[in-house]
Amino acid sequence: MAATTESVKADAAEAPLLNQKNLWLGLLLYLVFYSFIRWYEGVYAWSAGLDSFAPEFETYWMNMLYIELVAEVVLASALWGWLWKTRDRKVMSITPREELRRHFHHWVWLCMYGWAIYWGASYFTEQDGTWHQTIVRDTDFTPSHIIEFYLSYPIYIITGVSSFLYAKTRLPTYSEGLHLMYLVSVIGPFMILPNVGLNEWGHTFWFMEELFVAPLHYGFVFFGWAALAVMGVVNTEVMSIAKLIKKDLA
Amino acid sequence: MSASQSAVRSRAEAVKVSRTFDWMILFTLFFVILGGYHIHYMLTGGDWDFWADWKDRRLWVTVAPIVSITFPAAVQACLWWRYRLPVGATICVLGLLLGEWINRYMNFWGWTYFPVNFCFPSNLMPGAILLDTILLLGGSMTLTAVVGGLAWGLVFYPGNWPIIAPLHVPVEYNGMMFTLADLQGYHYVRTGTPEYIRMVEKGTLRTFGKDVAPVSAFFSGFVSIIIYFLWHFFGKWFAKTDFISDEDL
Repeated sequence: MAATTESVKADAAEAPLLNQKNLWLGLLLYLVFYSFIRWYEGVYAWSAGLDSFAPEFETYWMNMLYIELVAEVVLASALWGWLWKTRDRKVMSITPREELRRHFHHWVWLCMYGWAIYWGASYFTEQDGTWHQTIVRDTDFTPSHIIEFYLSYPIYIITGVSSFLYAKTRLPTYSEGLHLMYLVSVIGPFMILPNVGLNEWGHTFWFMEELFVAPLHYGFVFFGWAALAVMGVVNTEVMSIAKLIKKDLA
Repeated sequence: MSASQSAVRSRAEAVKVSRTFDWMILFTLFFVILGGYHIHYMLTGGDWDFWADWKDRRLWVTVAPIVSITFPAAVQACLWWRYRLPVGATICVLGLLLGEWINRYMNFWGWTYFPVNFCFPSNLMPGAILLDTILLLGGSMTLTAVVGGLAWGLVFYPGNWPIIAPLHVPVEYNGMMFTLADLQGYHYVRTGTPEYIRMVEKGTLRTFGKDVAPVSAFFSGFVSIIIYFLWHFFGKWFAKTDFISDEDL
């Protein structure tokens, strides 16, 4: 009886398996942030983003680009550094329940990655298509590019690499070796950002129009396929979690 | 707690944990697939999908099914062969259509003021339902590729016909005859895709008049079969759970 009371007390004091607050706050954070960005585009793309030689373009768009680049480098360094610095050096000796808790936390990261991928690869990428049909382009740094390439892509990259680092440093499943499809699902979409170099080079020297299906854009397509590697991550996770919850009940 | 002990304390908790993971996995899978599929589709068939005056009887009917059967085939290869879930194609297409509709409304219309009846996305749902149903009933990749792939191409135009038909009626404007969709494009000038770039009704196929759309759909179905096979194996590769050693990196 005493033992039961102790175990109930321990349960009450124990952290929940899934901290739902983290999940919902994270999703809400991206939603609110990107809603603000969309509002900013709606107001300042039309009023200050049509002519890259105008002083107001520098004020409202180039300054935004500089700020976001610095913020992203600082954020990525701090977050990735913190995840690595605080890694669990005895990851193989954690209890099954702690491992399950970490899997839940890992899935909070993965949900955030999915959400960030949606905003970057779907929302702001197709949005760029319609902006190019509306203005005469006179710079690589159009308002839509400043948001799409240099804000929404780095955000999903930071989120994806963080998710990978969390798994690698805190989950026994990933501690020995590198999960090939996890690497593909993070590095592939990351490569879309360097591919912007090809895109801008091509548009600057070769092809000024914005035909979306032009072969110049196929680099984005190829690296976009890497998103499918999330299936490999899901399969590995399902096997690990099933193993954890199918063991003999205490 | 011994190594053979469960991480959960009761069967009820195991069920709850399992269901919670199901939702988190579904959320992540849905949005990651949505993002990958959308960027693939908009950059391989996007211009035909963006604008009503690109939605012709020949190239739209040919290109859109061929480039869009890719992700459904790959996701089916994982969800059916690992979990017996016959929803791979439907999940892909639902994700794609959600991403597209949000964009066309919030950005094409909400930001740059192209009317929605000029920039609505193509409907891929009938093909997705057929593809999943054939897989469910047949349980065979070959059958799904051949029958489903062909159906995917054939059903695309009929599936979009009720939407596009009113825009394909002929109109006369400044002494020229063209479709209502062409007239929309004439008024809504797009700086990035001027008229000389628009790829519609090209080639000699149009000489055959009424046969253009069915012949295009049949050809599209043929290529869709091949693409399905190819992407099925891509899907199997992407679903792997292999590890490489740290030294290999």
